[in-house]
Formats: sequence, structure tokens, C-alpha cells
Amino acid sequence: MKTNLLWVEKYRPKKISDVVGNELAKTELINWLQSKRHKKKGVLLYGPAGVGKTALVNAASNQFNFSIIEMNASDTRTEKAINKIGKPATSFIALDTFSSERRGNILFLDEVDGVFGRQDRGGIKAIINIIKESLIPVVMAANDVDQQKLRPLKKVCQMIRFQQIRIPLIITTLRKICVAENIQAEFEALERIAQNSLGDMRSAINDLQSIGEGKQFLKLQDTAFLTVRNKDVGMYDTLKGMFSSETIGDSAMVLNRSNVNYDDFLLSFSDNLPLRYRNPTDLATAYDLVSRADMFRGRVGTDNWHLLRYFFNFLAEAATVSPKSYKSFDLIYPPMRIMKLFWTKGKRTNLENICAKISLRCHVSQNTAKTDMIPYIKMMIKKQKSSSIISWLKLEPNDVDFLLKLNDL
Amino acid sequence: MKVIILNNKEFILPRVERENFIRLMKLGLEYNRDKGTFSINNFDNIKEAIDTISDILNDEVQFLQNCLMCHKDFPCSDCKYTDFCETKNLPFKCVCPQCLTGKKSPQKTLF
Repeated sequence: MKTNLLWVEKYRPKKISDVVGNELAKTELINWLQSKRHKKKGVLLYGPAGVGKTALVNAASNQFNFSIIEMNASDTRTEKAINKIGKPATSFIALDTFSSERRGNILFLDEVDGVFGRQDRGGIKAIINIIKESLIPVVMAANDVDQQKLRPLKKVCQMIRFQQIRIPLIITTLRKICVAENIQAEFEALERIAQNSLGDMRSAINDLQSIGEGKQFLKLQDTAFLTVRNKDVGMYDTLKGMFSSETIGDSAMVLNRSNVNYDDFLLSFSDNLPLRYRNPTDLATAYDLVSRADMFRGRVGTDNWHLLRYFFNFLAEAATVSPKSYKSFDLIYPPMRIMKLFWTKGKRTNLENICAKISLRCHVSQNTAKTDMIPYIKMMIKKQKSSSIISWLKLEPNDVDFLLKLNDL
Repeated sequence: MKVIILNNKEFILPRVERENFIRLMKLGLEYNRDKGTFSINNFDNIKEAIDTISDILNDEVQFLQNCLMCHKDFPCSDCKYTDFCETKNLPFKCVCPQCLTGKKSPQKTLF
């Protein structure tokens, strides 16, 4: 019998032991659900997508006979909507709690990091109130908990972290599904699907279904059309990946998969070029290509994202001017320009204060004071330390010392 | 620097100074007085705990993984997917290379 069910639904874990990986998180959630006195009234499961957060809540409620009251991203989650569903559910103990079979309800709020914007106004505040007043366990799940808006929520919740699923565990699960679906799969094909999933079990099962459903045999070549998933590759890995690539295509792919801020990346990339290319001709060519990439970054702005490919291509070309000359080196990161601004912040603040005093006295802008007047005032003070201009400008002794030591900032 | 492989269920450390002992306890380790062995009780600060143990032993430390299928312990160095692994060397459950490539059906042994 062929069913139209998605395999992620068909093979959804029924028991806690069926949830693969993240044993630590499993133990923590079980302990929390079983304890009668919670230190914190809510629990927030967080981690990347497809690692079993929702599956674990469903499996745990199944196993411990809880009924789930769920709100996810598809629901409107304004203060009013959350209170309408959450308040009755959490303020009264269900009658079936007194039966021997059921243990009551769990309020499960999935994807709480997606509660935002005008349509979900007041949502987080309502959730916090419900957690504080709730008589039943409140479980939440989120991918990204580093957002500012989730800070108050984190304070009232026990945080349980989920990590990516290990590749061998994904391969084993895919093998199990293949056995159940009567598919004879090559190990290499399953390995490819698992590696491509980047630790996301849901996407691995979806990929397996998309290429394996209805087939008797699954071969490595069947996986050739799988789309490559974006991974959160940081600045360091992107720089390293691009500089060590042998072809422009590989290098561009590394940048394409990364989640870096392109402006910061451009600065860091330029900083590292002299370390990458020792040959002056190669270095000049690379800088020329970076300048063109910079030009296209400017043209992309915030609207013309179709031009981003030219930015990628020029940078990829700059990274692979002479691929054979690549030798591992210590990357400079964060960008020197940003670091210099950070290091000189104190000095710049002092200078701005002095410029403010000059501009007030001389009726000029602070910028004019900085560029046109500071050099001359500095010369005057250097010649005569007790110059009357100091008292006229109301400069403090600290300001005078600062001006005397001042180099170009 | 050599690599020392420890079993998270029970391992022995050379005499640990008071400060380091307190630090290890705070990082989630447990000490069995009768046996004189340490074990990992809480995995929240596992990376810091491993660094501290490395400092004490003055060598790199790796923990054994436990195979979900055959229940044997094995080190991460046997695995070829460590580049893709977010939790490498951390003592969690996994599947050993023999079981992974073996003919034994996971249906019977796993889940």
C-alpha cells in the first residue's frame, strides 16, 4: 500500500528512545518533565533546525501521557491570541489529570524566535506572563536564541541546547528507513545524503524520500541532483576556504555558502592578501580584482542583489590568482580597519571633545576645527606651553597633553 | 604532545590540586571516593572540562564514544566524519565504523 505521507511524519519518533542523538538534551527534558518542582517554570529547547526538538517534545508527551496544546509559526501569536489559547490551558488543571492514564497538558510553543513584527505584537510578553502563572509545563522551541527580543524569555526558562546530529547516526537512520521501505541503498548514497544534510535529520529524510521513493535501488549517481545546503560558515572558515581553493568555482562556492557580512569580509579579505601572495605581481592582480569586487558591492547596495554574483566572482578570482602558491598562514581577523577604530576610540573621543570646545569658541563646525585649526593650535602650544589660547579655548591640562602627543588619527 | 583517550564513565587522574579539583567539580565532573575515579555527570561545560583535564594531564584528551548498535566504546579518531561533526571528541552516543558499514540491519539492533 502506497501512502502519501511524508517520511518525516511516517517515521516520526513515537518514544523518547527513538529520537536520535542529543542524549544530554533528552535527559534534561525528561528530568524537567518528571520533576514536580521546577526551578524555572518554562523550558526552552534551542538548536539548529531538524535536530529533533519538536520530535522530542511529541515523543516525550506520548511516552508520559501528556496532551500537547501547540502553537507554532503558522498561528497568529499576538498577546491576545496567546492569552486566548494559553491562559485557559495553563490556568486550569485538566480533568483527565485525575485519571490514571493521562498526566495533563503541556503547552508547546514552537519556533518562538519567529514571534515578531506587527502581526505578533506583545507575543513574547504574553508568553512570559503565561510561564510565570502556569500550572502546567510550558515547553518552547527556537532555532536562534541570541536575538535581543528573547532575552527576557531566557531569564525565566531553563535552556536546553540541541546540537547537530552526527553523520553516522543520520546514515543509520536512513538505512533503517530504506529497510522499512524495501529500498536497497548503496552506502555511499546514504553517506552523501547525510553529509549534504549538515547534521539536519529532517532534511536528510526529505532528501532520501525525494530521490528514493518508489525505487528498489538507490545508487550514488541518484544523489547527484541533491541541492547543496547553506551552512553557517563564519568569517575564519570562509577566508581559509577561499584562499585554499584551487579553482574560481570552488572559491565562489565557499563564499556563497557563508553567512558573513560582505562589507566586513571585503576588509578582512584585503588585509590577508599580502600574506597570501608573496609575489608582487600576483598581489597587484589580486588587489585589482578586489577593487572591482568592491565596486560591485557598492552597486549591489540594498536592492540589486542580482549583481552579487559579480562580487562573488571577482573575490573568488582574487583568491585564486595563483592557486599553486598557497601555503597555510595565520589569518588576520577581525578586519584591521575595524580593530583600529576600536583601539583609537578613546583618542577619538578626546579629540572630539577638544574640537567641540574649539567649535563653540570659534563658531566653526567640529570638522573644520579638526582639519583647519587643531594643527595650528598644536603648533602654538608646542612653542609656548602657557599660551593664552589655552585659557581662551578653556582647554584642560589633559587636553593640552593630548594635543602635544597627538599624531594623525 | 600525545593523545590520551579516556572513558567518560570512569577515569583516573593523577593527584589533582585543590583548585583544579574544585574547578572540575564546578564543570560537571563527579568524583568517586571509594574507587578514586572521576566521571562526567553534567555535559553543559564539557569543552571547558576537557581543556582542564588536558591541562592537568599536560596532553591532549579525547573521550571514547559509545556505539548505539554494538555498545562498544571507540575513539573519534576511528571516524571519517569528524570534519562535519559539531560534537567530535565529546562523549556522546554514536555508531562505530564497523557497525556503520556492516551488513547487520539497524532495524533489529537500533531503536
